[in-house]
Amino acid sequence: MSDPLGPSTESGMFAKEAYLTTEPVRAAAQPAVVRDQAFDAAFIAALEGELAMAYRFAGYLLADSAEAQDAVQEASVRAWRGWKDLRERDRFHAWFSQILVNVCRTRLRQRSRRRALDVDDVDLESADPFRAALARDAVGRALSSLSQELRMVVVLRYWGELSLAEIADRLRIPVGTVKSRHHAALQALRRRIQPLEGGSR
Amino acid sequence: MNDFDLDDGLDLEMDRRLAALARGGRDPALPDALADLAWRVQLEAPAASWAGFRRAMGGGFGGFRRAGLAFARLAVTIALAGSFLLLVGNVRSGGSAADFVQAESTPNPSGAAQAPGAPEVVIVPTSGVVDDVMADYVSGAISRAVSDGAAAVIVQLDTLGGSEAAMQRIVEALNARIPTIVWVGPAGAKAASAGTFITLAANLAYMAPQTNIGAASPVAANGADIAATYGQTEADKVMNDAIAYMTGIAKDRHPQAIAWAVTTVQSAQSYSAQQALAVRGINGIASSVADVLSQANGQTVTTSAGQVVIHTKGATTVTINQDVVQSLLQTLDDPNIAFILLVIGVLLIAIEFFHPTLFMGLVGALCLALSFYGSGSLPLNVLGVVLVVLGIGMIVLEPNIPSHGLLTIGGVAVFVVGAVAFYGSPGPYLPTSAVAWPIIAVMAGAAAAYGLLLVGTLMRMRRQPAPVGAGLVGVERIVGQVGQVQADLSPVGTVYVGRESWSARMKDGRSVARGTRVRVVGQDGLTLIVEETG
Repeated sequence: MSDPLGPSTESGMFAKEAYLTTEPVRAAAQPAVVRDQAFDAAFIAALEGELAMAYRFAGYLLADSAEAQDAVQEASVRAWRGWKDLRERDRFHAWFSQILVNVCRTRLRQRSRRRALDVDDVDLESADPFRAALARDAVGRALSSLSQELRMVVVLRYWGELSLAEIADRLRIPVGTVKSRHHAALQALRRRIQPLEGGSR
Repeated sequence: MNDFDLDDGLDLEMDRRLAALARGGRDPALPDALADLAWRVQLEAPAASWAGFRRAMGGGFGGFRRAGLAFARLAVTIALAGSFLLLVGNVRSGGSAADFVQAESTPNPSGAAQAPGAPEVVIVPTSGVVDDVMADYVSGAISRAVSDGAAAVIVQLDTLGGSEAAMQRIVEALNARIPTIVWVGPAGAKAASAGTFITLAANLAYMAPQTNIGAASPVAANGADIAATYGQTEADKVMNDAIAYMTGIAKDRHPQAIAWAVTTVQSAQSYSAQQALAVRGINGIASSVADVLSQANGQTVTTSAGQVVIHTKGATTVTINQDVVQSLLQTLDDPNIAFILLVIGVLLIAIEFFHPTLFMGLVGALCLALSFYGSGSLPLNVLGVVLVVLGIGMIVLEPNIPSHGLLTIGGVAVFVVGAVAFYGSPGPYLPTSAVAWPIIAVMAGAAAAYGLLLVGTLMRMRRQPAPVGAGLVGVERIVGQVGQVQADLSPVGTVYVGRESWSARMKDGRSVARGTRVRVVGQDGLTLIVEETG
């Protein structure tokens, strides 16, 4: 499957021109020592503005701080690779969010495949800050029972604090679908926690 | 939350709770590892180019490291599998193994000083399935005997048959520049199917007492003959070919016994050494190699170099044995080993499919290759192989397609049927073979036990109460647990209980210092209510 979101990365996996020929924005103005390292200041500024939110989103979506770090790293690498081809740099926020959502989606999918057989390996020890934060309410604990699609909508909606239209943009699905998934997710959560809390509240 | 896109049917309470949860707590701080990510990405991302490839393998990016590892493993797999297939293909096609024997030979392979004038006779002991390994070995040994100037070569034979192509190569090799003798021995040995052709193709044929020759025609282990498996026309064609081939061999070597030789093919007759001698199908009964030497001495035979009188009186014998690789490869022809290798190979590849490590897949592929190598000289029944693979597939799929054990039961049944029908007998040269029952029983039993265990576990998991969150302590279980104050309760602070930090306050509203041990007595929303333990 080709990546529907974000820049195409498959073709550039080992293609060195994607990195080596990137013309640094202020290379000429830099002293020689720094020019060797050739940092792209615009990219740094743009990405640094995203990291906290990205880590928060990935953390709550994956409920695993280590995996969230990996996801943010992976998304950053992809963003850096696609930076050169990004025309509207003021759209960086939405663009990067799409990449991150995509990375997280892949990870969730891989995880569900990987964990199909092992019953309770990692989940038992849980000093993870994200899981602990989610655990403050039964709703948060029930999140992990949601399917990948529903969970992404919920996390984008409440932890990403996005409107349904924005969610539709990040996930590249129609607003109507977002709406119905949002509904379905809340219903599923209620069904999940009702037996624990004893009837309706 | 922006309310403009909320609509009527939405579960507002859930909506409110989620929003409160998302906004409520403090978010985990951005780890240091991510703080300078924007800089590092630019430094390390170019490492994906070939120049910096090594750095990426050891560097911080899981994606690159994984890609690198996968790439390296893929390369190793391809290299190993390729070289193995080359080796097998080479041996199978008979390209190099004959040269192999030659290359190892010394001008005087016995190593013993040859008494001048004393003739040398080369002994080639064989046993097992007639396959390309045996063909390489026999033809290599015969050509070595020719180049050594041996007086004769004796092939000792004990076989139930084998592949037609290998048999034909041996038959051709037996038409050498020096006299060739086949001795079916020792007592109890058989020269069945392809072995019959080989025996009769030598210049002289001897059999030990209590040995048998014949049944060079399809009688399958499962009772079905070639007509049932392949249709009458095909059976007739194969049969006619075999009869014609046998007639040609007998005409050259045993012209008095052509009719007799044809019966071994046509009506699958088997004869004892005495019966064969009575119709002059063989040249004599010899209980040992020495006996063969004395009986053969003075006989006149027609070799490819013309008429030769055999001089084996006082001859020294030199035995040429199979080399290690050849004997190893020949053990693969065992019907049971070929079957077990196939099962292991399919199983490992199936496991590779669900838990990709590439190692499993590689070993599985090797097992499969070895299995097919071995079964090349065995009457493999394609339907049986398909059923066995299908059965294993069904058993392996059980955990992924919940069927309450039906898949396992069906899989085991299909597997057993396939294993029983694993070998047919689609030719006059192949040995009749079958997979041993104990092996089928043990494998089916293991599969059934695995299935039972798995289904049992799945059932138990289904009956368990739904897990609350990702391995977290459930609400109902937190009450009564004992923990420790992490941040002073003044009156609200944090308590570490059940391996998690919770907001908490004392039941009586007192302030308590960090380190105090407390017991949870209740819960108010997201705040635990605790009391000091005594």
